[in-house]
Amino acid sequence: MPSSVGNTFKPTKFIPVSTAACLLVGSTTLFFAFTCPWLSNAISPAVPLYHGVVFLFVLANFSMATFMDPGVFPRASEDEDKDDDFRAPLYKNVEVKGVQVRMKWCSTCHFYRPPRCSHCSVCDNCVEDFDHHCPWVNNCIGRRNYRYFFLFLLSLSVHMVGVFSFGLLFVLHHLETLSALHTTVTLVVMCIAGLFFIPVMGLTGFHMVLVARGRTTNEQVTGKFRGGVNPFTRGCCGNVKHVLCSPLAPSSNALLCFCRYMVDPKKKLAIPIKPPFLRPALSDRNVTVKLSDNGVHGSILRTKSKISLDGLGEKNTDTQPPLPPKAERHNQLQSQLTSSEESSISSKPTNPPTPAVYRYRPSFGTIPKVHYHATGEKIMMSEDSKSSAILEERGHDYRSEPNLDLPDYGTAPLHRTFQSSPFQLDSISTTPRSLSLKQGGHRPEHSPLGGRKPDPVISTPHRGVFSPGTLSNRNGSLSYDSLLTPSIAPSAGECATHPGVPTMGFHSPFLPTKMCHVRGPELQGQTIVSPYSPVRTGLIYGRHSPHLREREQERERERDPSPVRYDNLSKTIMASIQERKEMEAREKLINRHGPGNYANDSGVFDGCSRVPPGPCYPDGQRGPGSRGYGSRDNLIGVGLVGYTPRTPVLRSAASSLVRAPRTSTTSLHTDAGGGGNLQYRSPAHQPHHSPIAVPRSPSYSHQKVSFISSRERAESPHLGTREDLGQGKVNGQPQGQARDCHLGAPSGTALSPSRHTNVKKVTGVGGTTYEISV
Amino acid sequence: MAETHSLQDLRQQAAIASKVFIQRDYTSGTICKFQTKFPTELEARIEKQQFEETIQTLNNLYAEAEKLGGKSYLEGCLACLTAYTIFLCMETHYEKVLKKIAKYIQEQNEKVYAPLGLLLTDPIERGLRVVEITIFEDRSIGSR
Repeated sequence: MPSSVGNTFKPTKFIPVSTAACLLVGSTTLFFAFTCPWLSNAISPAVPLYHGVVFLFVLANFSMATFMDPGVFPRASEDEDKDDDFRAPLYKNVEVKGVQVRMKWCSTCHFYRPPRCSHCSVCDNCVEDFDHHCPWVNNCIGRRNYRYFFLFLLSLSVHMVGVFSFGLLFVLHHLETLSALHTTVTLVVMCIAGLFFIPVMGLTGFHMVLVARGRTTNEQVTGKFRGGVNPFTRGCCGNVKHVLCSPLAPSSNALLCFCRYMVDPKKKLAIPIKPPFLRPALSDRNVTVKLSDNGVHGSILRTKSKISLDGLGEKNTDTQPPLPPKAERHNQLQSQLTSSEESSISSKPTNPPTPAVYRYRPSFGTIPKVHYHATGEKIMMSEDSKSSAILEERGHDYRSEPNLDLPDYGTAPLHRTFQSSPFQLDSISTTPRSLSLKQGGHRPEHSPLGGRKPDPVISTPHRGVFSPGTLSNRNGSLSYDSLLTPSIAPSAGECATHPGVPTMGFHSPFLPTKMCHVRGPELQGQTIVSPYSPVRTGLIYGRHSPHLREREQERERERDPSPVRYDNLSKTIMASIQERKEMEAREKLINRHGPGNYANDSGVFDGCSRVPPGPCYPDGQRGPGSRGYGSRDNLIGVGLVGYTPRTPVLRSAASSLVRAPRTSTTSLHTDAGGGGNLQYRSPAHQPHHSPIAVPRSPSYSHQKVSFISSRERAESPHLGTREDLGQGKVNGQPQGQARDCHLGAPSGTALSPSRHTNVKKVTGVGGTTYEISV
Repeated sequence: MAETHSLQDLRQQAAIASKVFIQRDYTSGTICKFQTKFPTELEARIEKQQFEETIQTLNNLYAEAEKLGGKSYLEGCLACLTAYTIFLCMETHYEKVLKKIAKYIQEQNEKVYAPLGLLLTDPIERGLRVVEITIFEDRSIGSR
């Protein structure tokens, strides 16, 4: 009798099976011993022979039903269920032959139960095609042993009928010697047979009907298909054939009896897997901007896999829990983020290094765009220096800013970039995936997205924290750097241009971030960007896998309003900004040489060593730090969360920042474009403080973040936070808010608006309520 | 030994980056069939065509295993007649196809997936619920 591992030995559960076995074997033995001799003499020797065969059949089927693995699903491995445990909705719908069937999440086995599968509490296993748990055989009846159970019932019924009939015949012929031993024994056997006749026959008849209808006991008893259509039926004949003639399914459990299929470890050859790996031709997919989710936790495996299966269609959703569309998006993004984050750590150099400044198209038309860099976004830097365009693209707000940096590596005069931004945008647009940044600020909100859409997102693992702004900043800084130190430019350019250069990816995100900070608040777009960018970048950063979908990009784009529009700034301001940038860049350079500690991320960093990371980041950390810092806020803390594991310092900084944005999120969407702009503008006009003060950035980012966060929140509540996701997804499952904590960031609590005064509750997509400080 | 050691070294070189799980496709009922949708995580690692071909071949093999044909009927009858003792000696049709599938997966891994930094896991190890594809991180720079 199969039992799950770890079950304690309970003698009581063996009582029914022992009783049944004893009665069966005992009675039949007595029958053979006392009745059959006379029968073979009086009637025919065929009678005992017949009974012998039938009894053998009964025993064989009884043994098979008792000892055979019913079709137990092994527990899902940890990798498979990482996400689902926290955020998975309780049910998932799947369409089977046109009928919607609900798959329930099994919390014990950690997977969604396939159709017709059920969890047996006695055996503590999920059983395929679960019929029922039979105490008489002390085993579940499922796919693999249903036939034997059914045949056992049939044969037992036949056997009982036979025993009773021939016993009766015996007794009738020995009425005068009823007290004789043989007769007595025969009478006893007859009584037993007669006693169990009705239940057994009843059960047999019941199962005959079930087989004919193609249902399991479980389905019949729970009334699943009462009045409805049973999608699993194959017609009466087909069902009977399926039960009786289908091949014996394999068992995954090698411990259970009758499982002859076992994976032979000897025969499995170890396949060496070592890099470098081939890559499919990605010529037309290079520019994939990977949107990294903000702070999506790492274990996205499940989510990811689920997400990847999303495309299968809602009908057959095996993967994504039925979240609202935005939530899904976010989930995906998050998952991607998480994965990208993780991957970033593992340094996936495959993605174009240049962090794409991903600018989210603000949903509100006027809202300044934030350059959001999806971690994965590599803004396609196609081989040309235009890659900087990535940033630029984004920069439609940033035009001036990103242009400075990105558009041309090494060229970058401010004004130039400024002007060139449109070009770059265009140029970028030419590159297939160049980050939709190209969209250039003034396109309709969705155009950037649109531009991006076709482009696959290249996850820039390293970017992670860089928000689009950062990227643009970076570009700016790059440009500065290039001005200052020509050597940098090539690297920057390299990053931008060569997706394959991992290092680039690293530092590009950092650079811009730094630059953002360097510029200080006066750069509206920039500063705003930086907070966002780090967040975004972080997200992006995390995501190495190039599977950031364009969809997600779009969403991210939509979510992030670009806070600053450089084109709005006066030239003088821009000039001053630039000066400041230069100064800060120099500072950074000085500070930069230390860090490079981020494995993958640092790669970028090192590459950009020129740009001193220090000043840029609020907590004085270099790029990586800033990454988390700014972008986190922007990403509503999601990105932040993602990064926290990397840089604890950043985390603290970021967390503080995170709070800020949250509180002011509403401002964004309440104010729509104008308000946001105003907010952004103001910092820009603040007196420049050349050193990047930590406080400055936080506040700055704060504002920006708030802007973005509000926007993001409004638009995609789920994306930002795991908790949101959890909320969005809830389907009977507990909200996953607590989970955000595991991201390492301040987590959900940090997200709640703290600093700002007026806290407004806004209901975002999916019904999640956000507290926004107005 | 040295060879094994080096192989191990090689294996140790590639760390697992992530895993993708290809779920079952239940649109045709409970027959064993996997979804052929191309997961986004693999977009940069393998051609869609190749992936779909692999999954489709697996689906076809499983369909063959579960087919209710003359062979499976005869097997059932024989098993019945021998009180299922035949299972101790003979391999069922399903098991034979499963071995074929294992061989196919092994071959695919060696020829196609390992060079791409991927590894397919036989779904039987997961109870025929998912096809697990392990994505190994690619540390080589400029591998693109």
